[in-house]
Amino acid sequence: MSPPAIPVLDQNIPALDPDAPVILEMRHIIKTFGAVTALVDASIKLRRGEVLALVGDNGAGKSTLIKILSGFHQPDAGTIILNGEEVRFASPRAARAHGIETVYQDLALIGDLSIFHNMFLGREYHKRILGLNLLDNEKMRDLAVKYLETMAISIPSVESTVDLLSGGQRQCVAVARSIYASPTILVLDEPLAALGVREGGQVLGLIQNLRRQRRVSIILIVHNYNQVFEVCDRINFLHSGGIVLDASTTETSEEELIHIVKSGLGGRATAAAAGEAGSEPA
Amino acid sequence: MSPKLEPKNEPPASTIEPGLAATRRVGVALPNTILDKLLFILFRYREASIAAVAVALVVYFQIGSRGQFIDAQFLGVVFRDTGRFGLIAVAETMLMITAEIDLSVGSTFALAPYTMGLLSVTWDVPLAVGALAGVALCVLVGVVNGVITVRFRVPSLITTVGTLFFVQGIVVSIYNSQPIMTPVEEPFNEFFGESLYNPRADGLLSWHSLSAFTPVLWAVVVVAAMSVVLNRTTFGLHTIATGSNPIGAREIGVRTDRIKVYNFMIAGGLAGFAGIINTLQFSSADPAAGAGFLNLEAIAAAVIGGTSLLGGSGTVIGALIGAFVVATLNNGLVMIGAQATVSDIFLGAGILAAMILNVQVDRLRTRRRK
Repeated sequence: MSPPAIPVLDQNIPALDPDAPVILEMRHIIKTFGAVTALVDASIKLRRGEVLALVGDNGAGKSTLIKILSGFHQPDAGTIILNGEEVRFASPRAARAHGIETVYQDLALIGDLSIFHNMFLGREYHKRILGLNLLDNEKMRDLAVKYLETMAISIPSVESTVDLLSGGQRQCVAVARSIYASPTILVLDEPLAALGVREGGQVLGLIQNLRRQRRVSIILIVHNYNQVFEVCDRINFLHSGGIVLDASTTETSEEELIHIVKSGLGGRATAAAAGEAGSEPA
Repeated sequence: MSPKLEPKNEPPASTIEPGLAATRRVGVALPNTILDKLLFILFRYREASIAAVAVALVVYFQIGSRGQFIDAQFLGVVFRDTGRFGLIAVAETMLMITAEIDLSVGSTFALAPYTMGLLSVTWDVPLAVGALAGVALCVLVGVVNGVITVRFRVPSLITTVGTLFFVQGIVVSIYNSQPIMTPVEEPFNEFFGESLYNPRADGLLSWHSLSAFTPVLWAVVVVAAMSVVLNRTTFGLHTIATGSNPIGAREIGVRTDRIKVYNFMIAGGLAGFAGIINTLQFSSADPAAGAGFLNLEAIAAAVIGGTSLLGGSGTVIGALIGAFVVATLNNGLVMIGAQATVSDIFLGAGILAAMILNVQVDRLRTRRRK
């Protein structure tokens, strides 16, 4: 398998096909950790090729929600519907097998392993030597070099261990690893947190390309939607474990959103009502 | 307002010259002070630096004993200890890479051969079958260690202290703490431990002289195998990932709990195997064979070999060289006329020095991060 080529941005392809089908629904997800209720009743919808931003304060439940989607946590109640079928992810492996790739906030990179081992962790290439199923390090190294080169990610060498990389380089490696798997849904938890303006632009450019060219659906978790307003189709606000606002960026301006959030987040009910008015794209 | 984020000013990815990105060197601080450089070299060539220590010790004892250290019979003793420590140190190294530890190897070391001996004297079970049963029991102890550690979240230091006493108690009480004489069943004994070497009758290059080194030869075989496992298999890769970043490894789909349990099983099995070899040398299974400091000496060998307890890195080849250093210190000091107890002083100092070095080297790497 050769590495998938990185698509070049084609402005002629519309950002979001208005008839794109809903490929993922998470319905009425509830999750508690001991006495702490992380998610009260959270529901989200995602269409093919759509970029959805999950926004909210610390502890709003954003990370818990996507860790349920990625199979890291199991929900106490609620259902996940993928391509019309109810699914249950017992482990991160199961979610990956369904085409859901997640870049966690901590990046899930292994500091003591080389970059190319990190790229292929959990989906290693093997070759048989004397009947033994050994790692094909040469193949993984070459593929990683080729792939990272096409993404114009500058790193010292794919053989150096990850703990020698800067924050931005790590972020790029983690994103590259997830894209390599050709996911149908890509989840990025705080993708811009560790990045400078230029590196951040690079990641956002990647996101644009992915969804336009390959119709990958993307969920972005961010603190502040200002950073991602340009690339998102919809923004969902989480507050105290539930979605309080579902707004389309094509129908709502940033100023309106600021207004809604400021006036709404004081009380759940008001915010939810405001969300009804501002959401549901045609 | 947020800037227009579409990367118009970036050249399209396809126009970037192949190789350009990879040759750009960004953000890697190279060691600059002499101390940093020294630590960097020590890290790059961990096995080589401990091997240098081993050679220095041999030279020292060879001179100190007026040329009696390098002698087939004496080296047979040193290598016997090296093999015993080495087999267990390799297992400890794998566990320490996952940031766990196993102290119960002191008991499993006695459990396997004692099971073998007991089956032999009570039901005439062939030694080979008894040995397999014994090692299987030790692997089972490893399962218990692993499950208690990962399921009940008991630190492995405590779990294995528990099983250390538990298993030791069973082995000692089951047959009134009597040593069991085991029969000689060729070729099993010859192959796994019996020394047939007679310095007067056999040449140094004979088959019999090879048998004087059976324990260390088995240790070398196991180290070679584990080195391949650690460096060239998915299991090895996931073992390193488990210790280096447990949460991240889990997030990316590494089954960290299973990896730990498997490594506990390897530790139990290898300690049992070492015990079998040890027993076959003397044809006697001692219920207290692993009592004393065997488990700690094996851990010392792993630490001296360059494995820290922090998880994520370690070397099985280093563990074998470390085992040789421990065995050389133990036997060499006695040979040059020091009190047996004095060797503990050197061993203790050696462990501390090696550990400080290991931690410093790890710290250096973290410091170079940004």
